[in-house]
Amino acid sequence: MIRKRIVIAALIAAALPVAPALAGWKLVPAGQPVAVAKSGMTVTPGEDWNRWTARPIKTSEVWTLDGTSLNELYFVAGLAEGKTLFRDIAKKDRPLPKFSKAMLLPDVVEFFESSTRTALQTSLFEIDKVEPDKMSGHDAVRFAFTYAVEGDQLPRKGIAKAAVVNGQLYLVSFVAPSIHYFDRDAAKVNKLLDTVKI
Amino acid sequence: MRGFRRLSLAAALLLPPTAAAAPHTPQDPVERGLWMQVDEAERKLQTSDFVIRDKALNDYVRGVLCREVGEEQCGEARIYIMRTPYFNASMAPNGMMQVWSGLLLRMENEAQLAAVLGHEFAHYREQHSLRLFHNIREKTNAAAWLGFVPFGFVAQLGIGMSMFSFSREMERDADAKSIDYLVKGGYDPAAATRVWSRLRDEMDAAAIERKAKSRKDKNGGLLATHPPTAERVDTLKTLAAEHPAAARDLGTDRYRAALAPFWADFFDDQAKLNDFGASEYLLKQLAEGGWTAELLFARGELYRRRAQAGDFGAAAGFYRDAVAAGGTMPQIWRGLGLSLIKNGEADADRKEIHEYLRRAPDAEDRGMMVMLAGEPT
Repeated sequence: MIRKRIVIAALIAAALPVAPALAGWKLVPAGQPVAVAKSGMTVTPGEDWNRWTARPIKTSEVWTLDGTSLNELYFVAGLAEGKTLFRDIAKKDRPLPKFSKAMLLPDVVEFFESSTRTALQTSLFEIDKVEPDKMSGHDAVRFAFTYAVEGDQLPRKGIAKAAVVNGQLYLVSFVAPSIHYFDRDAAKVNKLLDTVKI
Repeated sequence: MRGFRRLSLAAALLLPPTAAAAPHTPQDPVERGLWMQVDEAERKLQTSDFVIRDKALNDYVRGVLCREVGEEQCGEARIYIMRTPYFNASMAPNGMMQVWSGLLLRMENEAQLAAVLGHEFAHYREQHSLRLFHNIREKTNAAAWLGFVPFGFVAQLGIGMSMFSFSREMERDADAKSIDYLVKGGYDPAAATRVWSRLRDEMDAAAIERKAKSRKDKNGGLLATHPPTAERVDTLKTLAAEHPAAARDLGTDRYRAALAPFWADFFDDQAKLNDFGASEYLLKQLAEGGWTAELLFARGELYRRRAQAGDFGAAAGFYRDAVAAGGTMPQIWRGLGLSLIKNGEADADRKEIHEYLRRAPDAEDRGMMVMLAGEPT
């Protein structure tokens, strides 16, 4: 019901007064490489997606298939030292952790976990699996996680892939309800994660 | 018969509306509507993954409430212990009481827990939320009321925020009654003032770390209904001093024993919230009885995650102390290995990471650690 999605939630307070009139959804057609978050990072989706024209943080972008409460893809392309993963909307009471270019890949996973727990004010967040991977030839980490948000009866699952390149964080994460939607779309997303180029 | 009826009617009229022995039941359609919504929120809560159902812990918390408010009244409370890492407790007018894990982490002893539970129970018995509910209704027109109540007011219940915004007067009333409950239960009445003065200290510790102004006198955020103001601390101190003959039971050992199976998880929830100052403050409190291997490990994690100058060296020291104190959790070696790598002093063979993998062969991050350190030999 409230704050169930990380990115949209992080956007509500800060961007909503300005965004609604301007923000909309644009089609991302299947099969062509597309630059995300106005950066040099590209992905090639295997199916049509919808891109939100609002940006939670400057270096980010949100995609969905059926609406962000059912499936949400979050791109962060080139997060610099000292920046937060989501919009730092409650920075006086609950400031989000800041990215550091000294982070090792296991630190990036902890950074993601801590950012999400703080943004969603939840204690039910588990990292399920952490594996090495490659992103455009760079060392990367791929991890899976599960979480729930108080007041929302739907537990969610997620997968993410991240790399630190030239001191900046590149991350793509996907979350969906663990009932039906995650399993339905996980294979598509795994394929999409393999097409990331920096 | 007639006489009896007249008598009971007179008694009903004489009794102040808040002192009724029986729990309050909804009196009119508006209250019934409110009850329905609160009951619905509670129904959702009953199936929530956030409720900690451990019987021993639930029995313990209920026992504390029953000791101070009496067996008869405590039966009106339905207690839900929530895995939520912030300082809060609440009680709705229908008897639904929530106690957050972040509160349990912060209490030093049973008397402090009793102070908070007694405070919330006083709000409930005095029907503060209900009075406020009627008060707001009288002061706003129907349109404002309709817009406010179903969506803003009661919708809060579902997300576990403090139920209603109490007026300062009601807060003072509940504070005073919580002292009475403490005395009745044989607890040290000074525990109440200590709860709030420690919260102020914690907020100072958080602010120093963030190089920000302390939020302790801010009337907003999570503590909007319970500002831990200096005035409040002083008033509670004065009220406690009015009971010089009161028992002084703190129940520190009982409290520690009851929380022993939980504090490591509760602390981990706190430590992952990017609040080093408050976390370190709470950790030192937990370590008042001595630094155990678990506490030293938790401190190592806290410093390693903060990752500022000198933190990796300090973290490595805490992990090593944890091993020396008899710690056997595999994650001690993971933390030590990562700290040494970050500090540029890891051996080429990264033997700490290998020790972690030997001790936790099925670790969820095995693949990642092997990439970092190679297969353990």
